[in-house]
Amino acid sequence: MDYSVEDREVVVPGQKIGVSGKCDLTCFKDHEEIYSTVHGLVRQGRDYVTVIPSKGAYMPKEGDVVIGVVKSVRETFWIVDIGSPYSSYILKDEVVKTRGSVDLKQFFDVGDVISGKVSSLNEVYSHLITRPWKLEVGLIIKVNPKRIPRVIGKSRSMLEVIKSKTGSRIIVGQNGLIWLKGGKADLGVKAIRKIEAQAQTRGLTERITNFLDSESKEV
Amino acid sequence: MNVEAYLKKDYIQSLVSEGKRMDGRGFEDRRNLEIEKGFASEKAPGSARVKLGETEVIVGVSLIVGEPYSDRPNEGTMSVSTELRPIADPNFELGPPREESIEVSRVIDRGIRESGAIDFSKLFIEEGKVWIAFIDLHILNNAGNLFDAGGIAAISALLDTRMPKYEDGNPVRGEWDGKLPLTCTPIPLTIAQIAGQLLVDPTIDEEYSLDARLTVTVSDTLNALQKGGFGSLTLEQAEAAVDLAFKKSAEVKEVVEK
Amino acid sequence: MSGKSNVVLIKDGKRLDGRKFDELRDIKMGVGVLPRAQGSSYLEWGKNKVMAGVYGPRKLHPMFLQNPTKALVRCVYNMAPFSVEDRKRPGPDRRSVEISKICSEALDSVVLSERFPNAVIDIFVEILQADAGTRCAGLTAASMALADAGIPMKDLIASCAAGKVEGEIVLDLMKEEDNYGECDLPIAIIPRKKEFALLQMDGKLSRQEYSKALNLAMDGCLKVYEIQKQTLIDSAKVEAN
Repeated sequence: MDYSVEDREVVVPGQKIGVSGKCDLTCFKDHEEIYSTVHGLVRQGRDYVTVIPSKGAYMPKEGDVVIGVVKSVRETFWIVDIGSPYSSYILKDEVVKTRGSVDLKQFFDVGDVISGKVSSLNEVYSHLITRPWKLEVGLIIKVNPKRIPRVIGKSRSMLEVIKSKTGSRIIVGQNGLIWLKGGKADLGVKAIRKIEAQAQTRGLTERITNFLDSESKEV
Repeated sequence: MNVEAYLKKDYIQSLVSEGKRMDGRGFEDRRNLEIEKGFASEKAPGSARVKLGETEVIVGVSLIVGEPYSDRPNEGTMSVSTELRPIADPNFELGPPREESIEVSRVIDRGIRESGAIDFSKLFIEEGKVWIAFIDLHILNNAGNLFDAGGIAAISALLDTRMPKYEDGNPVRGEWDGKLPLTCTPIPLTIAQIAGQLLVDPTIDEEYSLDARLTVTVSDTLNALQKGGFGSLTLEQAEAAVDLAFKKSAEVKEVVEK
Repeated sequence: MSGKSNVVLIKDGKRLDGRKFDELRDIKMGVGVLPRAQGSSYLEWGKNKVMAGVYGPRKLHPMFLQNPTKALVRCVYNMAPFSVEDRKRPGPDRRSVEISKICSEALDSVVLSERFPNAVIDIFVEILQADAGTRCAGLTAASMALADAGIPMKDLIASCAAGKVEGEIVLDLMKEEDNYGECDLPIAIIPRKKEFALLQMDGKLSRQEYSKALNLAMDGCLKVYEIQKQTLIDSAKVEAN
């Protein structure tokens, strides 16, 4: 591909990335010319180019782990709010193994916080949540969904660092909600906020490791 | 339903029982206060932009010639209005003022009016004509405690306000004749009751988690009180809150009057 | 537009504020200024002070407004009561409603709204201090706020106005020129294609004057676009610590 910009250059919507190449949904093609759709960082991959935006709403994806709050309990399903414009449903048989009528409130009631996987996504993004389970009372924070990959890290490396240094149980939802319990949860939150702010810099895993080490010593 | 705040409620309450707050402040600490007087004073007689933590409010004061009330023919009047703009909070909707916006307006109005900060007799122009002071609050970012952010912005904007020049029966555009005379500086302080403890200047998450709140407005004396929330306050809490307000108002007054 | 006044608007080839005919007022921009909004921007354009905030894509109520093929792009333009010399009563007036509509349409021409069926992208433009050209400043700010929010678009929208003052075609009218001049022509463009996403005019222009004004406004928009682009690029510079 013939590039008009460098790798890791910041581009704006409508800016030319290059000519004759492959791109993902973060770019669009006008004849052979490729343009960015978002304000973000250009990453020149081996096969295709992508632009990593610093912000964006969460769009449900098949297989994503998400965290949400039960909004409504009906006769045969629950409705869950995962902070997306699209509806999330848990079907009765995901949870209830017996037949016959049963009060679904016994399993999940309005206000319960659950974690599960996105499944059966349709063309208007309605979807089911499978394998749901209720999260105990813990600390839940909302993070920019675009930073979640960085919070998890390559092969979960960053998340493991935070978990081991804080001793907290942590569940990360792709929709930007993160649940922490036990250990030094407050410290975990500080580390996550740091990652959120500096996600596009290099050497972040090492800096976070050092940060967690030094903060732990002070306590 | 404010999902984000809901998710933090239990956690905030448990933190309070341990003597802590999410942002690390002490129970008696206000958030950082920034005041910029004259922000919109190219057009408005007086204005101020206030940031209380991340809560951002702009207040403009407009002085319009109008008729006095029939029972007070020699006095000007004032009117406070608050716009909870949807830009400020994903839960704010377009439409006529809801009860939250009306309550903020009336609480701030009371604090200014009851303290006598504006001497309405000085707003008299001639028979049948007085100045009406419109105090308009424009909320741009709601991170909690609109009462204090708004009230501080209102008195700051009033301190910034110039009197329009008045000649031959009409106000003269773009010309001024001194400043709006004020007699004192009323300062609000909002205290939240969470898990039996009193916390000064609640954030939006703390507002959601509180049982009750008390907005106390003081100048040289106690001028106004407003309790909110579905819970209750004990006698000790009601008295302690007013003590806190007198204690903390001096530092705010200093920043406001700069 | 009254076309009459005692005020001399042009003297010795310069305008009231000293600008040349093709000069823009001073413009300052920033993004990411409101913590709660998903995207936001703040703009000072001459004496205009404008704030824009974006929420979305998010759920659209009431349901009958939902469109399964694309998101609703909804821009609301609002002036603060204290933004103008004669206090404006809070709430939408007919002028604000019209401006909101044409701004929504302009932004919709670039937002990739088909990616978000049934949802809404809300853009709120708040005019905090007004001094002519507020719809142009507002639309320019709205486009920046959308970019800041990570909403995918084909391009930014850059907006600017041209006009006629004492017979001369000038760029970016200020308040007195807007009040006493002979014509106001606000436009907004899709910069890459140089196409109009917004075009309005009121006043009196000959055919040639129209071409001249249109091209002058287009040049103005391209200059505004450069400022938008630079502001966004600069905002992405983060320190590592």
